[in-house]
Amino acid sequence: MKFSVRFGLLDLLAFKNLVPGRKKRIQRASARPITSDPVGDLVKNLHPEELHLIIDEVRQETVSTRTFRLVPDPESGTRSLPYFRAGQYLSFKVAVNGVTVTRPYSISSSPNQALNDGFYEITIRKPENGFLSNHAWENWSKGTNLVTSGPCGFFYYERLRDSDDIVALAGGSGITPFRSMIRDFLEKDSDIKFTLIYGTRTPDDIIFYEELKEFEQKAPGKIKIHVVCSEPDDCWTGPTGFLNAECIRNLIGDISGKSFFICGPQLMYAMLDTQLQEFNLKARRIRREVMGQIADIISHDGFPQEVADKTFRLTVRMGNEIKELPAAARETVLVAMERANLVPPSQCRSGECGFCRSRLIAGDVWVSPENDGRRGADHIYDFFHPCSSYPLSDLEIEIPRPV
Amino acid sequence: MTDYDAVVIGAGNGGLGAACQLALKGVKVLVLEQHNLPGGFASSFVRGRFEFETALHILCDYGPPDNRGNVRKFFDEIGLDLELVPVPDAYHFILEDEGVDAVMPVGVEEYISAVENEVPGSREPLTKYLDLCKEVLDALNYLAASKGNADKKVLRTRYANFLKTAAYSVQEVTDKFNLTQGTKNLLYPYWLNIGPPVSRLNFTIWAAFLYKYLTQGGYLPRHRSHELVSSLEARARVLGAEFQYNTRVSGILVKNGRVTGVETSQGDVFTTSHVICNASPTLAYNKLIYPKSEVPEIAYKYINSRKHSLGVLQLCMGLDAPADEIGLKTYGYFIAPHVDTEKLYESFYRCETPLVQAATCLNNALPDCSPPGTCILSSTCLIHPEAWANVRPEDYYNVKTRMAEGLINQFERATRLSIRDHIEEIEIATPETYARYTGTYNGIVYGYEVESWDSIIPRMMSIQDEKYVDGLYFAGGFSFRALGFSSSMLSGQATALLTLKEMGVE
Repeated sequence: MKFSVRFGLLDLLAFKNLVPGRKKRIQRASARPITSDPVGDLVKNLHPEELHLIIDEVRQETVSTRTFRLVPDPESGTRSLPYFRAGQYLSFKVAVNGVTVTRPYSISSSPNQALNDGFYEITIRKPENGFLSNHAWENWSKGTNLVTSGPCGFFYYERLRDSDDIVALAGGSGITPFRSMIRDFLEKDSDIKFTLIYGTRTPDDIIFYEELKEFEQKAPGKIKIHVVCSEPDDCWTGPTGFLNAECIRNLIGDISGKSFFICGPQLMYAMLDTQLQEFNLKARRIRREVMGQIADIISHDGFPQEVADKTFRLTVRMGNEIKELPAAARETVLVAMERANLVPPSQCRSGECGFCRSRLIAGDVWVSPENDGRRGADHIYDFFHPCSSYPLSDLEIEIPRPV
Repeated sequence: MTDYDAVVIGAGNGGLGAACQLALKGVKVLVLEQHNLPGGFASSFVRGRFEFETALHILCDYGPPDNRGNVRKFFDEIGLDLELVPVPDAYHFILEDEGVDAVMPVGVEEYISAVENEVPGSREPLTKYLDLCKEVLDALNYLAASKGNADKKVLRTRYANFLKTAAYSVQEVTDKFNLTQGTKNLLYPYWLNIGPPVSRLNFTIWAAFLYKYLTQGGYLPRHRSHELVSSLEARARVLGAEFQYNTRVSGILVKNGRVTGVETSQGDVFTTSHVICNASPTLAYNKLIYPKSEVPEIAYKYINSRKHSLGVLQLCMGLDAPADEIGLKTYGYFIAPHVDTEKLYESFYRCETPLVQAATCLNNALPDCSPPGTCILSSTCLIHPEAWANVRPEDYYNVKTRMAEGLINQFERATRLSIRDHIEEIEIATPETYARYTGTYNGIVYGYEVESWDSIIPRMMSIQDEKYVDGLYFAGGFSFRALGFSSSMLSGQATALLTLKEMGVE
């Protein structure tokens, strides 16, 4: 049985009028182009694709550490600095000896300083074999122009997820994002309880020591700073040794209800992974900053030793260009490309951000599980992240063009 | 000779649909995408142990093998081999002020019975109402099959009710039926999928959507929509399409009213006579067409006459307990105080948590979508871009966190479940996020509002009249088939067919 709607003939007329009525509406409308796009403006403001910065000031923090204060370079198009979340990093794109590489450095200043005082600070330790850090150490001075990404990364406090009782575990220059966080909490007068346990080798190595103590005095009961020295001198009266379960428990007492934030060298991550097991923490109570490229990949768990000494042929397609280059098994595909002076997009260099996502046309790669941030379907359709992948054979890949 | 027979701007659902259809017919096609992966809104992202969906709640118009929807037919046609998973046929409605707490199944009979069970007396009017919806859907399928040569007599005899209702809103038509408020409470929640309040929402698109959903159910790819779009990309490549990522089109080159090519922000020029644009007409006419003198005045009027629709705020959470332990029993949740869609819609204009959310617990459709002992819960609400117009950059993170918190609170209150203590990962995508990754104008996801004058029928009937640049068609959520994954994909297929016709390729 067919049901009929109680509409009349007029409704058929309404149907007939749909298109003529539409035409009239269009004719009646304004012919002004649309120029406003507030949400698009917010994007430009918060997430610009690139920042042009100038070094405004260089401060010697310790014998081996310098802080670089960066301000916008309006002549190159950066007029203000994006606001960010304390704990985020900038990815620097720098030409070193004719090879362009990227490196992430945490912002050590606070979001409000970017907003009100117009600067970011990054703090770099001179390592024994850090490619870009050495370069920065030798070449960066007041007036140096730099190109970076906007602030990125996911190492920040999120009140819907994290406890407001935070324990920060820092090692060496891993202190930098925490300086930003503490400043941020102080500037916003937030109710967060923040206990920093900062592991350092010698007392001379402590970055921001005076400043950290000042923070503590400004918010007694909220901010607590512990510095732990592994190679103390005779004058050192604070705690000594490494950041292990015993040390942490001694300093903070009750473990329950706290969120742990960890940033430091790779050895510290490995050690804390074991040590923190004792506390039986839920996964959601531990946040780790990404560790960057794995330093000692050869001795890394699961690394395919059988190819360790091999060098493979890497065929790279980018746009309409094709380039062939060597790729050592012990270096990431990204590094192989950078050595050949290709500049594929990259940011986190830890497999996390997906910025370097590329297509694997032929061959096979190895990815360490802790740096494998690929999407599920990328496994099926052969896409990979060159920044955390090591060649297992000759490869043919297609990389995204630089933006 | 041009470099490409056709260039597709944007690898969203629309662009991918177009690319597959064009490549299937052997024409030389290039897809340019500004992001480094396909999909547009249809994507996924990884945080910690979880991979989150960016947009899809259910894929409609796919259907089971014995009741193939248009999307499944399209996939079969292009030879796409992708296994999609049917979503368990239950949608949990909670209307707090109305005291409604009911799970609605898929299947016309099942749905009617479930409503009758909750609100006795609904069966007869609801059956009539859904009969009308069926006629509307049949009529649309007839129109699509007739490819612009519909027989008026057939329309008048077989689809009279479709013609009679096409110019009216959901409310105007629904008022003709004796549906009680109780019945409407279990009917209107589906409205959230389309957006404008029922007083303005056109009946045709609503009826078609509703009937399709009830008869075919919803489907999901296993690995979020990133798998869906990756499979389309892979298929398009096999068929011969070329893709370039991180390649933003800065100009659609037009000469004497005809497309001659596209230019990218890297400075390449690709010549072509045919462009299918997955970016919105708003962006194309206001920003992309070059030179600007080639944009006729009527094109600006065309854009300004239309009502830009809504954006989305999506809260994604990885929880550290299994769904059943937390008490999450269904895949989909609709939570609102009531279904006064006018009032609900008004709340999209305020810079605070809107009154209504649609939440999904993905594990109840895909048990293995997250590691053992965990589950994924997402909550989506709609936002008008105006609500975000005055958000200062320094307030942005607080604003979005506050809105997300409102969603969690509403969800916990309505379901009486505890979520907050299980959050291991959380990410909040806002209109800013969608604009950032796709370039969509003002963060809009829902295209242009489908009021009766600007619903799919008048849009379809005006396609040729509203072609202001020869060789340029639009696909995607802003195109003639309006919003949604399936509509976008099929608009790509349809505009590809129109383009092929112009090329003389059969």
